[in-house]
Amino acid sequence: MTKGKFWRTESTVAYLFMIPASVFLLMFMFYPIVYVILMSFFRVNKLGDLVSFFGWGNFRFMFDKPEFWQVVVRSCVWTAIAVAVKTAFGLVIALLLNVEFVGKRLARTLLIIPWASSVPISAMIWQWTYNSDFGLLNHTLRSLGVWRNPPIWLAEPRSAFMANLWVDIWCGIPFMALVFLAGLQAIPQELYEAAEVDGATPWSKFRFVTLPLLSGVLTVATLLSTLWTFNDFNVIYVLTAGGPGTSTDILITYIYKYAFQYLRFGPAAAMAVITFGILLIVSIVYARSYFREGAL
Amino acid sequence: MKERERKSLYFVYPLTVFILLILLFPFFVMVSTALKPVSEVYANPPHWIPREWRWANFSDIWGKYPLGAYFKNSFIISLGTTFLNMVLCIPAAYAVARLRFRAKSFIMYLFLVVQMFSPIIVVISLFKIVALLGLLDTLLSLVLTNSVFTLTFAIWLLSGYFRGIPKEIEEAALIDGCSRLQSVVRVLLPVAMPGVVTTVIYTFISAWNEFMFALTFITSMDKRPLTLGLYNFIGRWTVQWQYLMAAAILALIPVVILFMFIERELVQGLAGGAVKG
Repeated sequence: MTKGKFWRTESTVAYLFMIPASVFLLMFMFYPIVYVILMSFFRVNKLGDLVSFFGWGNFRFMFDKPEFWQVVVRSCVWTAIAVAVKTAFGLVIALLLNVEFVGKRLARTLLIIPWASSVPISAMIWQWTYNSDFGLLNHTLRSLGVWRNPPIWLAEPRSAFMANLWVDIWCGIPFMALVFLAGLQAIPQELYEAAEVDGATPWSKFRFVTLPLLSGVLTVATLLSTLWTFNDFNVIYVLTAGGPGTSTDILITYIYKYAFQYLRFGPAAAMAVITFGILLIVSIVYARSYFREGAL
Repeated sequence: MKERERKSLYFVYPLTVFILLILLFPFFVMVSTALKPVSEVYANPPHWIPREWRWANFSDIWGKYPLGAYFKNSFIISLGTTFLNMVLCIPAAYAVARLRFRAKSFIMYLFLVVQMFSPIIVVISLFKIVALLGLLDTLLSLVLTNSVFTLTFAIWLLSGYFRGIPKEIEEAALIDGCSRLQSVVRVLLPVAMPGVVTTVIYTFISAWNEFMFALTFITSMDKRPLTLGLYNFIGRWTVQWQYLMAAAILALIPVVILFMFIERELVQGLAGGAVKG
């Protein structure tokens, strides 16, 4: 009977409990998404009001601009390089911290700081670090003899892109390392012992025990990192605001520029819809692999 | 075997130290600059360690910039976001964790997907909505918009905790004549306190660090939160970097410490079953 009381009203209670959160998300998440899709098919004035139906006009306007395609390509390059480097760095750090040594806990704590730090503020600190006259980065590179003539980082398109890219990578490394470390620690020690009995070298242990058992973690983490990297607004906006010109813009910052600097909400909405499509696909893949790892 | 492990430390130590030096370098720059007098901030070649340590930078900033207001605004926004977020997320997380209803797995799936959307996609239309509600240039606009983007992950995080607590505890409370609401408030929540605290910290930090919505919705100087306020240090002709860095230290310390408490839960929540072993 008591069991019955607990379960009887279940669905009703559940829906009741879900209402506040659902209404809130509908108002401020799903409605805005629908509205943006609507905007992308309309002429929109500088106040963001829909003026008249425009069909694919906004999309065509962007597609005809070579600059748009440059930004699209740059977003892909940006994401690919950053995720690859984060993954590689993260894996190396995780392998290092998986070894027992004195001071390991301290190293782990220190490693978290770049992730714990507020991204916009980190980007401001980096901006000063990159300063060509008074910043410590170039001074350090020169004094150590690593790089005699380092570039004026944020002034030229290519080096500014690299500078942005590095800050994004720097922000993302700790998360990757920590996830991989958690994954490594979940691998049963017996497997390594068994491999050793069979005379496995350190490399073959890594290749045939560590990597296969880490593949689930690798997939989830790289997908997550892909989404975050693609969405990174703060770093670029604070460091260069996409400049010089639009040479360091990625889609996310380019959309913002079109909307709130140029006040061209129509084309901005069209790009937002394209971005939405891309993100939707990647996050569905992420959600799938998340569930495949048996979270629920 | 032990011998080899000891030998491997010969490269583990230097490599770890080297990587940490690279990763922590900007924080070294931050602290060093925050302690420099102006003459040293603009010295070429720059000094790694200030010759003269000027602690007064930390007291000067309060008078020179409306830093007090920035801190207050960030606190109001973060506390408001956390409060709203918890009010919405506790019942939803309970429903998802404890109750069986149709479309549940679809909703969970949807939440996970939604959580990855960039706020940029919707900021254009959110701007319209915020304007329509007459909330432009108010702290409330940031409380609302921040909550939208923390809510789904908060529900995920918290429902995971609820699921880990045995149902029997609540059933016993129901037998003893508690209503369902009472059983949640008096029995489940106290037991799930670590999860609640984690979710609270997560929301608080996300709101504290938020930048883009503030940049878009806030125009008056006295309503800026810290991130935007500090960003506007840079917008001027001569940036007083020593003050910016001193302010950055003060802004970062609380969140970095709070973050240390929830870092493991975040890793687990984001990577899911993959790291549970």
